Amino acid sequence: MVSAVYDHLVAIVIVGAIFISTVVVVPTLSFINLQTVDQHQLRNLAVNIFNAILLDTGDPVDWGSMDPFYMNDTRIRRFGLASAEASSPYVLDPDKVQRLVVGNPLNYCDYEYIRQLLGLEGYGFQLRILPPFNVTCTDGTPITEKSPIEIDEDELSYSIKVTYLDGTPIPNARVYATIVYASGSDFAITTRPVIYTDALGICSDSIELDFEPEDAIVILRTSVADVVTLIVTFGTTPADDIAEINLVGDTLILTMPDATPRGARWVDYVIPITNEEGLEFIYNGTRSNDDKLNYGSFKVWYKRFNGLQKRNPVVFILAFWTVISGEGRREVLVAGPYQNLLGYTVFEYGESPNIASSSAVRIQRNVIIAGYTYIAEFWLWKK
Amino acid sequence: MKKLANKSAQIRVIEVFLASFIIAFAFSFANIMTGLPTSPKYEETELEKVGYNTLYDLDKMGLLSRFIYNEEWTNLTAALRVLLPYDVYFNLTIYYLNGTKVNHPPIFYGDPQAFSDSKYVASITYGLVNCPSRVNATYYRAIYEPRTIILQLVRR
Repeated sequence: MVSAVYDHLVAIVIVGAIFISTVVVVPTLSFINLQTVDQHQLRNLAVNIFNAILLDTGDPVDWGSMDPFYMNDTRIRRFGLASAEASSPYVLDPDKVQRLVVGNPLNYCDYEYIRQLLGLEGYGFQLRILPPFNVTCTDGTPITEKSPIEIDEDELSYSIKVTYLDGTPIPNARVYATIVYASGSDFAITTRPVIYTDALGICSDSIELDFEPEDAIVILRTSVADVVTLIVTFGTTPADDIAEINLVGDTLILTMPDATPRGARWVDYVIPITNEEGLEFIYNGTRSNDDKLNYGSFKVWYKRFNGLQKRNPVVFILAFWTVISGEGRREVLVAGPYQNLLGYTVFEYGESPNIASSSAVRIQRNVIIAGYTYIAEFWLWKK
Repeated sequence: MKKLANKSAQIRVIEVFLASFIIAFAFSFANIMTGLPTSPKYEETELEKVGYNTLYDLDKMGLLSRFIYNEEWTNLTAALRVLLPYDVYFNLTIYYLNGTKVNHPPIFYGDPQAFSDSKYVASITYGLVNCPSRVNATYYRAIYEPRTIILQLVRR
């Protein structure tokens, strides 16, 4: 009798052990399978959403160029960045891209609103648009953090390093520089002969300017196997709060920022930077009320240039006749609308992905914005 | 009698043990055998899209035909390195219509081992018809000279 009880006790212990191990092992196996299924669903969702962003124009098709555009404009029924005018895929509309630049004074769509439009509640995403290769200072510092330009009286020099996105130097990259500079009432543009990077991906150049500049902007058009990227960088500390620059359709819009000094300013020159090498003045100001910006009745300046959008301007350089604190009135150079964004990462939109987490999915495609090739990268993860 | 009763209990224990083991094994087996969608399909499709997107982009810029018909292999390699994701290795081969290889130096980036070891090698076939050459300011000439491009991609 006692032995039978022992036998049953042993049986209960063994069966209990098997039951517990089954309870532990089976859900673990199921969880691994579910994770795999989840990862695949996430990848499929990421591919579909990324295609919708890059290949769909959205609704209305010209939502980026709506004027006026309201913050998180409710007239947008469907989100997509593709250009309505392009006949080939992966060509993005710069006006729509501009509506994702957080802080755009002509309003933008915030992350939560776009997430809602894309139906991504419960998911996090990030959209990054990168140049196809890196152009940095010779020590690898991004140009957005440190200018590669040095100015010593009337001598301007620069050194840059061109690398693949994995950091490998690119030899024989073609660099074509154009220098726009101003001082007092003087204004000048100089172009430089083409130079090439050495085996370490580095190239340098120096030039004696016509006068010592108070403002200098260097436009570096760098190409690797004819794939071009554009860098617009200041050689001097850029003047803040002169005007906010925006392009909507063919209309260039300048707005007076809320800053001091509050003196009136006049638009002297407008130069669009396109995907062509030469620079062209599209507007010479008259220093009349037509070209005036102030805090009174001239808070906004806008001018329509027929066919401007078709020429794909990436950035504008403007010369203003304005007052700088402690220096008086002089010619001041301003670049925009992407002044702080050109050169390294064009922009990042959305939340930062947790790269260490295996559940984040990354997809990459080549896109064309304003005639230049960029790499669009999309991260998606479950929250 | 007591001994017989004990033996019967022991056999029950063994029966229960075997039954539980069979059930547990069946559960595990079912889990392993079902619900495992393989990732190669996704990986290959994704790489194929990336590869096609890159070749199309180069073609649209007018660079692909220039590099291939002028045999600018260094430029073609650099352009592919710039436009493909940096964690992707490539091997590009160009053929005449009769199947003869055009590029004798390989247009290649990465570790050759990666191509032989990887289970997922994406292959993209892209066709070019000709490269128009400029005769004068208004006149271009294009001779029918097709090339077949085979781009193989593998993730690092």
